[in-house]
Amino acid sequence: MSISLDLLAALFLPLFPLSMVFTRVFDRLRHPLARAALLLAWPQLGVLLIAQTALPPPDAFIVWALATAAFYAYRAIALRDVGLWIAFIAVSAWSLLWLGAGDVLTMHVQALAFSVPLLLLNLLSGDLERRFGAAHTRLKLGLAAVAPRYAAVFVVAMLAAVASPVFPNFFSLLATITHRVAEHGAGLSVFMVALVWVLWTWSGARLIQGIVVGEGDARNVADLSTPMVWAYAGGFLFLAAAGLALAGVLL
Amino acid sequence: MTISPSTSLTPAAGRHLRVRALAYVAGEPVPFFWPMRSFIHHNPLHGLEHLPFATAVEKGAKLFHARGFLPRHVYQGYLADGRIDAAALATEVERFVAMRAPIETVELKAWLTALLRAERDPVIAGGTIADVDDLHAALHAGQGGERSPLEAATLIPMLRDTLLGDRPVQEAVDALCGTAITAEINESVIRVCLDFFDEGQSVWVMPDREQGLFTAWRRVAGREMQRLLDAIAEAESGADGVLTPEMVIDHILRRLEVPETHWIGYFTREIAQLHGWAGFIRWRATASHYHWSERYPGDLVDLLAIRLSFALLLLTKRVTGGQPKTRGDLERLIESAPHVAYLRRELHCGRALPALVQRVEDALLRRDNKLLGALFVAYAQARRVDEAATQLARLRALAQRAGQQVPFESLGRDALAALIDALRDFEKDEGMIWLRAMETRAMQTLLAGLSLDAPPPREKRPFVQAAFCIDTRSERIRRHLESVGDYQTFGVAGFFGVPVSLIELGKGSETHLCPVLLTPKNVVLEMSSAARANEAAVTALGHAMHKLKESVLSPFVTVEAIGLLFGFDMIGKTVAPRAYNHWRRHLHEHKSGTHLLLDKLSREQADSILRAVQRAIIVEAVEQELGLPAEKVNDALVRALREAALGHAELAPEVIAELGVPTSGAVRFIDQLRGNHRINAAFSNRQMEELGRIGFTIDEQVRFVRQALSSIGLTGNFSRFVLLAGHGSTSENNPYESALDCGACGGNHGLISARVLAQMANKPAVRKRLAEKGIEIPDDTWFMPALHNTTTDEITLHDLELLPTSHLVYLDRLRTGLNSAARLCAQERLPSLQIVPDRQDPGAAFKSARRNAMDWSQVRPEWGLSRNAYFIIGRRDLTRSMGLDGRAFLHSYDYRVDPKRRLLENILTGPLVVGQWINMEHYFSAVDNERFGSGSKVYHNVAGRFGVMTGNLSDLRTGLPSQTVLENGQPYHEPMRLITVIEAPFEQARAAVEAVVSVKRLVRNGWIRLIVIDPETATVCLYEEDGSWRRRPHGQSTESDLTQERCAS
Repeated sequence: MSISLDLLAALFLPLFPLSMVFTRVFDRLRHPLARAALLLAWPQLGVLLIAQTALPPPDAFIVWALATAAFYAYRAIALRDVGLWIAFIAVSAWSLLWLGAGDVLTMHVQALAFSVPLLLLNLLSGDLERRFGAAHTRLKLGLAAVAPRYAAVFVVAMLAAVASPVFPNFFSLLATITHRVAEHGAGLSVFMVALVWVLWTWSGARLIQGIVVGEGDARNVADLSTPMVWAYAGGFLFLAAAGLALAGVLL
Repeated sequence: MTISPSTSLTPAAGRHLRVRALAYVAGEPVPFFWPMRSFIHHNPLHGLEHLPFATAVEKGAKLFHARGFLPRHVYQGYLADGRIDAAALATEVERFVAMRAPIETVELKAWLTALLRAERDPVIAGGTIADVDDLHAALHAGQGGERSPLEAATLIPMLRDTLLGDRPVQEAVDALCGTAITAEINESVIRVCLDFFDEGQSVWVMPDREQGLFTAWRRVAGREMQRLLDAIAEAESGADGVLTPEMVIDHILRRLEVPETHWIGYFTREIAQLHGWAGFIRWRATASHYHWSERYPGDLVDLLAIRLSFALLLLTKRVTGGQPKTRGDLERLIESAPHVAYLRRELHCGRALPALVQRVEDALLRRDNKLLGALFVAYAQARRVDEAATQLARLRALAQRAGQQVPFESLGRDALAALIDALRDFEKDEGMIWLRAMETRAMQTLLAGLSLDAPPPREKRPFVQAAFCIDTRSERIRRHLESVGDYQTFGVAGFFGVPVSLIELGKGSETHLCPVLLTPKNVVLEMSSAARANEAAVTALGHAMHKLKESVLSPFVTVEAIGLLFGFDMIGKTVAPRAYNHWRRHLHEHKSGTHLLLDKLSREQADSILRAVQRAIIVEAVEQELGLPAEKVNDALVRALREAALGHAELAPEVIAELGVPTSGAVRFIDQLRGNHRINAAFSNRQMEELGRIGFTIDEQVRFVRQALSSIGLTGNFSRFVLLAGHGSTSENNPYESALDCGACGGNHGLISARVLAQMANKPAVRKRLAEKGIEIPDDTWFMPALHNTTTDEITLHDLELLPTSHLVYLDRLRTGLNSAARLCAQERLPSLQIVPDRQDPGAAFKSARRNAMDWSQVRPEWGLSRNAYFIIGRRDLTRSMGLDGRAFLHSYDYRVDPKRRLLENILTGPLVVGQWINMEHYFSAVDNERFGSGSKVYHNVAGRFGVMTGNLSDLRTGLPSQTVLENGQPYHEPMRLITVIEAPFEQARAAVEAVVSVKRLVRNGWIRLIVIDPETATVCLYEEDGSWRRRPHGQSTESDLTQERCAS
């Protein structure tokens, strides 16, 4: 029963190849709000399921989770579509929740911390798709030249998504590492988590390069409105504040 | 003539010779780029001047991936503020409409007028797959509808056209595979060029540069490249391993399967990738006097061989998995799977439909032909619908602006096709239409201000006659000088008609002070009578500082140790540039007053100079090599050593004894004198030849003075002072400083030229000979050189120590006048620089201008020649009554003293051509500053001490920076072709133009707009681009008047 529940949880705290279900569903859902709901709800379901099992999960699941996190982080480097990239980073991040599985409430908070920064990028990506047709590096968007406000917001949203310091996912990642160190000492798993983080950053930088930098073709696209810029700025400030608050809770 | 078998070329050698010839021809469209130390304004499309302007612009735009005209919205702005003549624009539209067959229910004139006046962006999209049927279907059904799939017969020619032709293989591969091989090649080639062509900026230089560019590069190329080149060498020349750049080019092009018929075009495309570097290499290869070129040779063949080697290597390394890597592969892909090639190009060129981009990428990654086939059909259909909808939306918007919605919605297929064709053709010609209308307004403005009225007769001679350079910046200072007193001004090319090669004091190389079109025969030496200052210590300190800064490790220590000193320097320059620079100037040793060695040396004088130099060298050598103290090196000893070194005499035993060395040591020392110190017969002969170039004979001096004075019409009524004002600029931290100097002096200050002519004209022997030729210069006339600083507007007088005492009493008045003119000029000019918020009084403006010239953070010390538009050859009275706002080159000319039109031909040959280069440089830098100009100065870095790059690695930036031609991102310079006015009888002017082939070509091909003002009949004749002259009486200024009468050429 426990293994079955673990396997079911592996669908929602996605482990490869079960993770393909989430990426497929996310890809099919085109509306940003629907995607946002999925980003919020999917890992929470996983945590609820895992709470029904005997914690901590078997070691095999830890290895499986680490492999999944690294695999998706690595694959994200080659991705050019922002939406798909969000799905991959979400899978990579959520699979890391298996490493800290112990206290269910903490897992809920950590899952939220991984999801929320991706929400802003997801909303922005939806907006970009609406205006440019797609948020894809194969299109010569050149946001910095064409729509500098979009570019600025995109860069900050991307920094938040790749768990830069002060954002909640950074502290969640840090909590995972400290938990592993406290429980098992600094070993391969800690190195792997750090590696995953580096890969997220690398892939994020590639997307910034592909979407923000360079000459843009779409010259007549209106830039982000001032109220929306303020709204995003508020969102980022909220994330930063939440991150700092979370630091006190998780660390 | 028969050729013996031993002298005939082998097939391979013939091929290699052909490669060299083709490379030479292929490089022609790329303009020369001169080192920036003496910036030469040039036409970026100089190599295409044999074509009509419009054709050349179209071709140049394709070649350099640039824009040949301003964007439409800028012209619309000009139209709104009256800088474009609306009537002329309407006439152009009517002319276009008249040439086309009428289209049923289409009011074409309304469409075109709306397009010009109200549409910001191009209406007809190019390179689309949606045809008129798609558009017609969309117009009438509201959507594209189902159409037959795109046929291979349509697709293949389109792909061949965009991917093959003269296009380098790597560019096509980049477009199909998403690689960045072209960019990689460019980076690698730039690094090689930086290393090889360095002129002293780098501490570590490329070894073996004397062997030439290709050979030197080959020796330091990476291991993979070495292997590739070795393999080529083995294939081409067998075991002996000889490898020439021609062999490499020939071999690689064959390996890449490029047909020989495309080689010229292929070379041109390759060269144009880095046209700045290529232009520099082209110039360098032809500059026989250029020291660096003589020492380290390199040409376009070397460059091509290096580019192609990188191309082959990277194509081999980067392209894998059966992707195309030769032209043959590309052709086979296009023929066998055009749909795949199409989808690849769409994806990798960033053209894919956003909605399908991810699907296309996935399908191409899977390489499933069936999937790709199905996707292509869907994609092409979606593309056609999308393009048709976009095109239709643009047409509907235009129809609304033209008030043609109703007829447009009911257009039939054929009428729609005709309308689209008409709009496409019109948009293609649009740049010329705007340009002509803009030029018409500029001509109207000028002609309205010109005056043919005879000036009132003078009661007495003017206080001062002043000759300035024809430079546009002289117009302002001349106008103000004339306004403050009894000054008569003239315009003449800034080298005053005397081509001089100057050897400046303290420098060993020659500087050509004349337009680059000329090569000076005469050398002038600058000499000082002052004792040599103790420069050694200062020089050594400066040298040590540079070494410390340039070394790899020492900067870390240097910053800690003496960084603070630089901090003081920085604060001083930034906070109080004027006071700080004034104080700092006192610290530096001033160059003492100098004299110019102007007269031809006699044989005896030359011999005496050579002896003196050789004696000095021998004394130094004896002291250094043999350690003898100076007092022991007497004249007799030096003479004996010199005679021995030159082979005139043997060394006597007593001389050897005086040297204090054994015989063998003395012989060795003589050998050293001959070898190291070049005291030998052959070198002496060469030096005598060089000395023979120094100075001018009296005949030459008379000729130059006469020509200079006659060409500006100054042949009588000489004033007490004749001011010869050269010009130059001063600015800080500005690699483009020489671009602000005198173009007629080869991008140098014009003072030396002024001094040369003044010295000649003040010479009694010259005046005597001039008087015999009808030019009587009174004894109390003094030619005085001066320098007009165009950044500060100051005019400083020079060679005052030579001024006769009788003139000293007038000097104060002269200085006051010059000062007043300078202040007024600064007051007029400064508001356009926007360095002060409001218009200042003259004194404050003058101070601000001086501060501006010393401000090291100032990216725009002055506007230079920006906004140049006119070249006026005629008497000053023609333009005296109008302010030309610093937009006109003014060359004084009096046709009455030039019945044989020689002087006019000279003006056309030199100054006008230089003016046209300047004009075109500004034109193209303004219309496309990124490609033809050099972008923003803010990102510039000096490269190799001869050019600038953007960032740390880029093509050499040619053209002018944005700060020179743009203001807040919009053109400050109004790009127009040079409107040239000649004041002379029509037939005289026409014959002069016809006699100067280069100018005739420029006029006929529409590179300059020519107007002849005939003062004797008071008529204006305009040369039209169709080869005809249009004539009208002077004083009528509307376009209708201008077209009143036609006269055949």
